[in-house]
Amino acid sequence: MLSAGGLRRIGVITRKEIVDASRDRRTVIVSLLSAVVGGPVFLILMFNFMAGQAERARDVILPVIAQDRAPALIAFLEREQVKITPAPDDYEAQIRRGDLDVALVVDPRFDADVAQGKAGTVRLVYDRSRDRGRPAVDQVESLLRAYNRLWGAERLVLRGVTPGVANPLSVEPVDLATPQQSGSLLLFLVGFYALFAGLAGGMAPALDTAAGERERQSLEPLLMTPARPVELALGKWLAVGAYAGLVVLCTLLLFYLTLSFAPLPPVGVPFLFGARELGRFVVVLLPLVIAFPAILLYLAARGRTLKEAQANVSLVFLVVGFLPVFSLFLQWREPEWIAAVPVAGQYSLLRIALRGEALPALQVVMSYAAPIAIAVIALAAVTRLLSRESVLAGR
Amino acid sequence: MIAIEGLAKAFGPRGAVHAVDGVSFTAPDGQITGLLGPNGAGKTTLLRMLATLVLPDAGHASIDGLDVVRHRYAVRTRIGVLSDARGLYPRLTARENVRYYGVLHGLAGDALEARIDTLFAALGLVDHADRRTQGFSQGERMKVAIARALVHDPATVLLDEPTNGLDIMSVRALREQLRALRGAGKCLLFSSHVMQEVAALCDRIVILSRGRVVAHGTAAELQAQAGTASLEDAFVSLLGTGEGLAA
Repeated sequence: MLSAGGLRRIGVITRKEIVDASRDRRTVIVSLLSAVVGGPVFLILMFNFMAGQAERARDVILPVIAQDRAPALIAFLEREQVKITPAPDDYEAQIRRGDLDVALVVDPRFDADVAQGKAGTVRLVYDRSRDRGRPAVDQVESLLRAYNRLWGAERLVLRGVTPGVANPLSVEPVDLATPQQSGSLLLFLVGFYALFAGLAGGMAPALDTAAGERERQSLEPLLMTPARPVELALGKWLAVGAYAGLVVLCTLLLFYLTLSFAPLPPVGVPFLFGARELGRFVVVLLPLVIAFPAILLYLAARGRTLKEAQANVSLVFLVVGFLPVFSLFLQWREPEWIAAVPVAGQYSLLRIALRGEALPALQVVMSYAAPIAIAVIALAAVTRLLSRESVLAGR
Repeated sequence: MIAIEGLAKAFGPRGAVHAVDGVSFTAPDGQITGLLGPNGAGKTTLLRMLATLVLPDAGHASIDGLDVVRHRYAVRTRIGVLSDARGLYPRLTARENVRYYGVLHGLAGDALEARIDTLFAALGLVDHADRRTQGFSQGERMKVAIARALVHDPATVLLDEPTNGLDIMSVRALREQLRALRGAGKCLLFSSHVMQEVAALCDRIVILSRGRVVAHGTAAELQAQAGTASLEDAFVSLLGTGEGLAA
């Protein structure tokens, strides 16, 4: 085990690596920029996007072909704040291009059909592949259904039938989502961003302290000091972990400050990302701040040069980026053991935190087990690597 | 004192390459022992075994009576090594580079700073002490590396091709340093493939070829052994070739 001298040397190594990395101006600026500036900018963009969507649903502009054939329908839509305009001739092309969201075509036989007591036809023209137009399409569609019900009810009343006869089922939607849940997609992206920030924050120091040490030929003299390989591995890991943790903390803190104080457009969802959520995020992300630096250190130490190490390290980004996408395709409800799977478990717990719920203690414990085991294995591997004679082999 | 007895190390598939093949000699305190041999003679591997970085396949080596395998960490506190790889941390100042090694060796505080000051004064590095080593010349880097290797005042100093890539002035400064260390009673082992280097500095010379010791003694003893008039002829005669001995 580690002696008192060993612990002292670990502290010495950690401090040296932290000072060394802090003087790498370019890396510090890039890491901080992504955390300090990137996060808030990303949030502001997201909010404006959501506000824009809400606005589109509110102020629908509906180009209509042959509006004079259905004056009662048009009057109803106008009463519901839809702005009716005459449709341009090339409305189909404009919808394909995305210049128009939706158009309404009144069938030439509309008045004739209605006069004969048949259903009159209107066509709603839109492009399903364009998500931006979706709120407007939904809004118009639901208004048309409302008009359909209203018209049908009036006819029944004229015939002396109570409208309830034609509507035996009354559906009353009761939305159990708390206001926080509505905004959870956005906040999930916040978690994703923070997690990646931790990975990115640890990358540069890991590359420099492991592969950089080999590349600039300072490893061999270092291995001839009384510092044991295990002390070097632990000292360097602590330094890389400090940076990863710092970048995660900065990122979360800036999200918190942006959501609390920045002049964001109102999107109708009262977002809550208060001190409590911040604390829960830290608890969930901590095991990754332990595991990522160890993995990065091992992969970087395998590279004889920075370039080799970079290729190794990019593998982690691939996996971490892929895992949440995988869970996105998961059709069934997440099993509880998912908490034990690194990264996927953290995403699952982040979602719980984002719904404003307390973290389940058992799952939190489970989510710590694998990352800690991975960190121990990775650090043992780094130690072994540094003990091998082949680590001295030149470029 | 360094004592080496039948030391051997092989590399490659099934140990096909015998880098060091049964080397024995001793290097006494207060003397500079030169390890001379062409490139690939096994000098670096031998020094790495003494520096406890590479484990010997056979034989023993000890420094001040401490075995380099069994007491490797005790040995490390007694040796200072200027190896072929002498990379510095470019973002740290010269003083910080040396201080890092000092604290790893268990030194601290005023005693360490005073030691660094002494070394920098002796090496002519005072003006560079608090500058980052980023833009240092080859000679300046070598001086920092020497200070780093000597910071814990080791009794034994191993130097692997220390003059590689240095200009004349730096080489002269280095020689002065090594003579001063000899004067202080240290045991120095100095490897080089340049005959003039070794002849100018060393009290005793070990000639290494293909992992074996081919001759061992003072310059006069080597000349007598080879029966030649000059040291250079003695080297060529003992090695059987002049290859790799270019000045």
